[in-house]
Amino acid sequence: MPEDLMTPVERAQALQEGRPADRMRCVPSISNTAARVIGVKVSELRISGATLARATIATYRRFGFDAVRVFTDLYVQPEAMGSKVRVPLDETAHLDSPAISHESDINRLTPHDPYKDGPLPALLEATRRTLEAIGQEVPVSCGVEGPFTLASLLVGADNLSRWMLKKPESAHRVIAIACEASLRLADAVIDIGAVPSLTCAMSSSTVISPRLFKDFSQPYLTKLTEHIKARGIASVTLHICGKTAPIWTGMADTGAACLSIDNMAHLDEAKKIVGGRVCLMGNIPPAEVLLQGTCADVRAAARKCIREAWDNPRGFILASGCSLATETPFANIDAMLDAAREAGWPVRPEYL
Amino acid sequence: MAKSKEILFQELSDSVVEMEENKAADLAREVVEEKIDAYEAIDKGLAHGMERAGRLFEEDEYFVPELLIAADAMYAGIEVLRQHIAADSSSAPGRIVIGVVEGDTHDIGKNLVKIILEAKGFEVHDLGRDVPPSVFVAKAKEIKADIIGLSTLMTTTMAGMARVIEMLHEAGLRERIKVMIGGAPISQGFARKIGADGYSANAMAAGDLALKLLAQRRILGSLSAS
Repeated sequence: MPEDLMTPVERAQALQEGRPADRMRCVPSISNTAARVIGVKVSELRISGATLARATIATYRRFGFDAVRVFTDLYVQPEAMGSKVRVPLDETAHLDSPAISHESDINRLTPHDPYKDGPLPALLEATRRTLEAIGQEVPVSCGVEGPFTLASLLVGADNLSRWMLKKPESAHRVIAIACEASLRLADAVIDIGAVPSLTCAMSSSTVISPRLFKDFSQPYLTKLTEHIKARGIASVTLHICGKTAPIWTGMADTGAACLSIDNMAHLDEAKKIVGGRVCLMGNIPPAEVLLQGTCADVRAAARKCIREAWDNPRGFILASGCSLATETPFANIDAMLDAAREAGWPVRPEYL
Repeated sequence: MAKSKEILFQELSDSVVEMEENKAADLAREVVEEKIDAYEAIDKGLAHGMERAGRLFEEDEYFVPELLIAADAMYAGIEVLRQHIAADSSSAPGRIVIGVVEGDTHDIGKNLVKIILEAKGFEVHDLGRDVPPSVFVAKAKEIKADIIGLSTLMTTTMAGMARVIEMLHEAGLRERIKVMIGGAPISQGFARKIGADGYSANAMAAGDLALKLLAQRRILGSLSAS
């Protein structure tokens, strides 16, 4: 197995400029698995910026992947705005109940202050510490929620559904408040010197129609992306879970530079439709392959992704289709990185 | 002149597909005024409409919001008709206990499956979210359920599904109660591994799966009886 010869920052620059590089980029989307790397409980990551930073840094050093994302779960922003979250001792947090459940309460919702509210100060603290420790060698991002998904977690998916179809102005009011909250968090992340990484699970075509995406999600994602770009960050990554083929063009229209594609969608099709406009990352299945499969399964799945998209005109990053489960075996994460090393750069013809 | 029964049923069905909650309730009141059989109006009108909405969901014409709002219309109609159902006519094809396994609160998928099962006439006992394995087993025993339906979105909670199946074995109920599972991280392979009777990839398929499992159970039951 060839050794890595470049840091992720050096590699990214070389690939960007078309210079020789030691390998393609590779990003397993690790979140709470970081707790296993340093032997703490999952819930400890959420409450202490120092612990989350320590886990994030150790995880990068253990595996050597190409982008570090400071992230625990999707519920830190909703919690900072009043949603109730269940935090098990040693598993990923999940939503208990939304902040409001009646239309008449919308005016009670206010955008969070990332320096004060809920777990956000700890998240920012972790991002700052991580950046200080390893920011010279690897890009550091912090997860920021897409406005549509945040809105859904603030009022409940059923309410937001009803309002979109029956009372669109109420839906827009909530999503606009969520958008302002995500703008504030993005600003705080940029002020530290890190990069916001956008994720919007509920925008998936597995959940809402392409038409509702265009009306209720895309305009707000565009606003967020344009704001981030105006602050000098060119490369915004957007992840949407599940099926996304019908909205790839819309996702690229938001101005995102890189689209992270779930394993329910196909990289070769994405390459055809938006590969000339955006970098693609994806899409090894996190559950069946990375969590439950063998190292051989991981290598086979990685090879399939590489075959489909390594030559994408605007770049390719071998990645997991979605965030990894906490108990993903370290050996499988190593196998994923090894696949990127084994493929070589440019990818050796015999590998394909 | 009063509308024919068939036209009313068609309009009821359309009101569900078109997601018109108030219209569904108004039409249901017409059914009552015209003294048309309430059970038939649910079956051939409201539930029929929900089935159509479910098919549109399968064809990527409808998505989760449309299905939820269509169900609002179906339930608005059922609410009006419920008290007018003749006592002998509500024979459900089977009883199902459904819920999201312990440690998980994501229930959009489970709610959709519930809607489709109710549209197919099943008597559905919804245990909600974050349900311990023992509660599934106790409820299934209490109501003499035919099927237990388990849902999860999270990989961390998948083991809870296997635990329900183990507990059914321990309670000597495994032969009598079918187990079906679903959710984003679930696959046919996982269902086979834990010994579940069926897996479905979406809510519509879950409705068909429940009917299939029930038919299997009847055939097996008649074989062992003969």
